Amino acid sequence: MHTSIFRIGSGGVLLRIRRLTAILAAAAITSLGVAGVVQAKIRAVGVENEYANVIAQIGGKFVAVRSIVSNPNTDPHVFEASPSVAIEVARSQLIVRNGVGYDTWVKKILAAAPQAHREVIVVQHVLGLPNDTPNPHLWYKPLTMPNVAHAVAAALSKLDPAHKEYFYTNVKTFDASLKPWYAAIAKFNDEFGGTPVAVTEPVGDYMLNAIGCIIKTPWNLQAAIMNGTDPAPQDVSIQNRLFREHAVKVFVYNQQVTDPLTASFLHLAEKSHIPVVGVYETMPTGYTYQKWMLAEVHAMRLAVTRGISTKVLR
Amino acid sequence: MLVWLAHILHFSFFHSGPVRTALLVGGCAAVVCAVIGVFTILRGHAFAGHALGDVSSAGGSASFFLGISPLAGFLGIAAIAAMSLEFLGVRRVRDQDVATGIVLGAGLGLSALFLYFDITTTSTTGAAVTVMFGSMFALSPSLIWPSIIVAILGLGTVSVLYRPLLLSVADPELAATRGISNRWVGMLHLLALAGAVALAALSVGSVLASALLIGPAAAALRVSRRPCVAISWAIILGLVAVWGGIWLAYESYYWFSGNAWPVSFFVVVIIFAMYLLGAPCQQLLRRRVRVAEPLPEGTER
Repeated sequence: MHTSIFRIGSGGVLLRIRRLTAILAAAAITSLGVAGVVQAKIRAVGVENEYANVIAQIGGKFVAVRSIVSNPNTDPHVFEASPSVAIEVARSQLIVRNGVGYDTWVKKILAAAPQAHREVIVVQHVLGLPNDTPNPHLWYKPLTMPNVAHAVAAALSKLDPAHKEYFYTNVKTFDASLKPWYAAIAKFNDEFGGTPVAVTEPVGDYMLNAIGCIIKTPWNLQAAIMNGTDPAPQDVSIQNRLFREHAVKVFVYNQQVTDPLTASFLHLAEKSHIPVVGVYETMPTGYTYQKWMLAEVHAMRLAVTRGISTKVLR
Repeated sequence: MLVWLAHILHFSFFHSGPVRTALLVGGCAAVVCAVIGVFTILRGHAFAGHALGDVSSAGGSASFFLGISPLAGFLGIAAIAAMSLEFLGVRRVRDQDVATGIVLGAGLGLSALFLYFDITTTSTTGAAVTVMFGSMFALSPSLIWPSIIVAILGLGTVSVLYRPLLLSVADPELAATRGISNRWVGMLHLLALAGAVALAALSVGSVLASALLIGPAAAALRVSRRPCVAISWAIILGLVAVWGGIWLAYESYYWFSGNAWPVSFFVVVIIFAMYLLGAPCQQLLRRRVRVAEPLPEGTER
């Protein structure tokens, strides 16, 4: 018990030190770049940390990546940009953002600080989705990241043509690393396709659809929870009935969009012995994108086969 | 008749957990606000009532990141603000407005800070909308009993203070000569007001709390100037507004293919309609009253 607390504590400090050194290194590199001694790394920002992770995997040693939205304890839907974030975003050469109204504030910052050689990748546009796409949580869609990886490689090659081959090799490696996740999705679909589930808000819906689950929670309730508006009592009753009558096998719970209502659902699900699987708006600490996605499908499998809850991914 | 009623009300209405919680908590708010609202208007404290609502939003916002009951948050800050109003000195009506405005501004500033904490330190979603405009169908059932207790305390205070309150409204000097401390009466009234405002903020949100506090009472005072008649009318009108609003919001689910409109909107619309309808009522009654109505109770000269 004590050791684990100690480890968490020291991990936090280590992380902070690492962050500090990264910032110092970035500052040093910029000043060197200005002096023209070494070639500076490409400054890239993945607005949501899952995209930053993909940029880092494609750009490797030639890119310095930062993510803006990464705190697993806050709701990115209501993120407020601070002045330092605005500077960070405005300075970067490559930006990957989600779109679909999820991070409109980035658009405003970029418009306020125009730059000629800046590559902006909007994942929504990469996937060709309209603005009124109801579910903005595109990173849970299995086909999203290969497309993003490709777009990132193309943008990086424009910024740094000399290393084009390096970037595209990384894309191949990335695509290959997604195979276990795809296999897990196909396997779940074969064995447990049609499993009824309840959710709080739509963050994991794309993945749940991919693995063949049937989402029983009314869409309007999911949207109300996501947007923080009044839920309809009829929908709340439907959801409560799903738990009480054991009409669902798993409760997929968004750790980052919570309110008293989601807390009451969680309580009811636990009381009804329905396993809970935690899903996230941003990549949980200690994961890569691939590992995170694989862990989610694995958690779903544990819930369906053995009734085990995985509320928090560690 | 019953079949018709059942059809209108959709059977599921009373079976729905969120509706029952809303009816009970909202009902408490309506009754307490009606009774205290009448005194608040008679004492000329309508603006103070509105300010307390706005200020209580700080407590509502704080409750999210402190993890305490929202009712406790609203009540705590409303009570502190009520005391500040009293101590900031409200001797003359003009001073009162200034002091009230200052406390109001400070309170809303605090909520801006607390809402920022909610966003940056917790995963709470929609705190701003819930605190400012209420979310009656998302109320936790655990709030029912605390609401009833606050309501009973508020009503108890007012019933104990009934005559001194009326007297200090009608003639503060006479009240003083009779040994009634205006300051104590005023303070206890403000505390009861804080309770009413906290319940209203919990139901329809802190910004709209004054609609529930002032609206039904003002409409009732248009119908009759006699305090006990006005209070009875205010209770009826308040309950009609809140329960009617809940019912309309519930029904709106069927009008807009599942996109129910907010309860607070319907409550406030009903209150506004009542106030407008109060004017013709007033004119109608005035003609009769000029002949018949005695002076308000407790205003013997």
